[in-house]
Amino acid sequence: MIEALQAMGSVVLDPYLIFLILMTTILGVVIGVLPGLGATTGAALLLPFTLTMEPVHAIAVLATIYVSATFAGSITAILINTPGTSAAAATTFDGYPLAQRGEAGRALGIAVVSSTVGGVFSVIVLCIAAPMLARVAYEFRPPEYFALTLFGLSMLATISAGGTLRNLIGGVFGVWLATIGAEPTTGIERFMFGNYELYEGLAFVPVFIGLFAMSELLVQSRRINQVVDTIALKAVKLPSRDDYKRIWKTVLRSCGIGTFIGVLPAEGATVASMIGYAEARRWSKNKDEFGKGSIEGIAGAEAANNAATGGAMVPTMVLGIPGSGTTAVILVGLMVHGLRPGPYLFTEQVDKVYQIFGAMLLANLMFMAMGLYASKLFARISLVPLQILWPIVFALAVIGAYALSSSLLDVWIVLIFGVVGFVARRHGFAVAPIAVGLILGEMVETNFQNSLKMFEGDWWLIATQPLAALFLVFAFLGLFGPVILRSIVKKRN
Amino acid sequence: MQFLIIPGSITAFSVAVIWAALQLDVSPPMVVGDSLQPRVFPIFLMIINIGLAVFLAIQYRKSPPKTNPREALQTWGTMALFVVFYFFTVYLDMMIAIAVVMFAMCLMWGERRIHVAGAVAFVTPVTIFFLFDLVLRVRFPRGLLTNWYYG
Repeated sequence: MIEALQAMGSVVLDPYLIFLILMTTILGVVIGVLPGLGATTGAALLLPFTLTMEPVHAIAVLATIYVSATFAGSITAILINTPGTSAAAATTFDGYPLAQRGEAGRALGIAVVSSTVGGVFSVIVLCIAAPMLARVAYEFRPPEYFALTLFGLSMLATISAGGTLRNLIGGVFGVWLATIGAEPTTGIERFMFGNYELYEGLAFVPVFIGLFAMSELLVQSRRINQVVDTIALKAVKLPSRDDYKRIWKTVLRSCGIGTFIGVLPAEGATVASMIGYAEARRWSKNKDEFGKGSIEGIAGAEAANNAATGGAMVPTMVLGIPGSGTTAVILVGLMVHGLRPGPYLFTEQVDKVYQIFGAMLLANLMFMAMGLYASKLFARISLVPLQILWPIVFALAVIGAYALSSSLLDVWIVLIFGVVGFVARRHGFAVAPIAVGLILGEMVETNFQNSLKMFEGDWWLIATQPLAALFLVFAFLGLFGPVILRSIVKKRN
Repeated sequence: MQFLIIPGSITAFSVAVIWAALQLDVSPPMVVGDSLQPRVFPIFLMIINIGLAVFLAIQYRKSPPKTNPREALQTWGTMALFVVFYFFTVYLDMMIAIAVVMFAMCLMWGERRIHVAGAVAFVTPVTIFFLFDLVLRVRFPRGLLTNWYYG
């Protein structure tokens, strides 16, 4: 424990890391306020720039982007009624009406404080829960990992964007993408069509840049004529004592909700903020204020979405299963920098793990300072014309993809998956399930094959392993729970 | 019948993948052992996808999805610029391709000041190029400009 605290504390003794976190926090806030450019896109675009950094610095940069961009989405949600990130969508419900009443500063103050409390709370939970989960995960063998990845895939069904069926189809498509390349056991080439650059499979980063950044570019091309109303911001002020009295229970509740939802595989800040908002309304004594500028509504959504960031890092680092779209990118970052996610990360490179946690904690405090003192400035950035912003994103995307392995194939993959992602989104399919499926695809196939070898071909013996059976039950509930629940409610009514 | 377009496309894609999977080499039994042939897992996935597509068709029949408005001219234009980017990169130079696409995209998306579009298209790739070349030590693919720069 003392070693862990020492490792976390060492972050403040590394001036270069502090400088990196400061600069990345500014960048993360800029990314967060620019509509369309969320934490996932930002992290995917930034990953190639971290190639020459030390592993801890690189992951700290990505994690900082994650927490600061997640918070910053609220700035534009409040000031221009356009959530900078999808996680801030629930913040618009009350943030914008409060700003319209001339209380934009108060709304931002509530959002900043709630986000910081949520973020810090979740990092503390991360520090405590991750090593505990790692201790359990030491016992995992292929059957347990197979069942766990199935559980992760089943959770795709409940991701908020897109419907259950569409998310599952996207997830299966992602898993299929992971089969491209040489099959791990036999070395037989699958779906390479003579292209030997695909021998080791599709590289994650170009696919992610294509799915998130390039498809968003095409989506934005349809919105260039939209006009947004901006609200003048006088000053951001901290919530008053009365405000604190009103929101503290909501913030604490949302911290718990956000962290728990973040820990669930494939669920992220967007789901957390929606549930945080709904629960804030359910428990509030002033339900009528919701939708008209309730500070509890802002606090509920903002505390939950930032609490999800730390929660989502738990399965990512301990099990190698991404807790959200952005952590999928961070997971790839861990692999690229030689930090293999899994329980052994907590014994072999424990100091690095805690330095990353420390960096996340510091990033949460830094974005609070920026939110309080520079929101006005950042809000102006959101007014950068799209016709200037997105061509720059295009350049960053193609050059970044090329830089990863100096391969033009990666650039073509970015363009192809940009179009694939755009077509999918146009027809109501979210792209996050494809990304999560791609990451989990190899895990699910390899662990299933190894389980078969373990049980000499008797696949049903997987279900006889207690932990694996538990995960399979969770997977079943993840897939069919909502349907069963709906039918029960229907019968009762 | 419009509700069948998306599920039908998914099914057609899945069938094509199954067909491609059936063309894969078969591994000798002594190599595969108790595990599966390489073709089995993708086929299994696509069967699941076909099943899901059937359910999707049923769902769409009950409540048809919203019809999308026609794509904006800029969207088609941007996709066309991807193709332009490919040819310029392959036959000319990646940096020239980026500059040309950025310039065209700026104008297509509504930038009326040509000097602004020109400045964005020039400054951004040059800055990123030097950042990657000098700081990150990334060598870009050979082309007109890079041949001249690298010598």
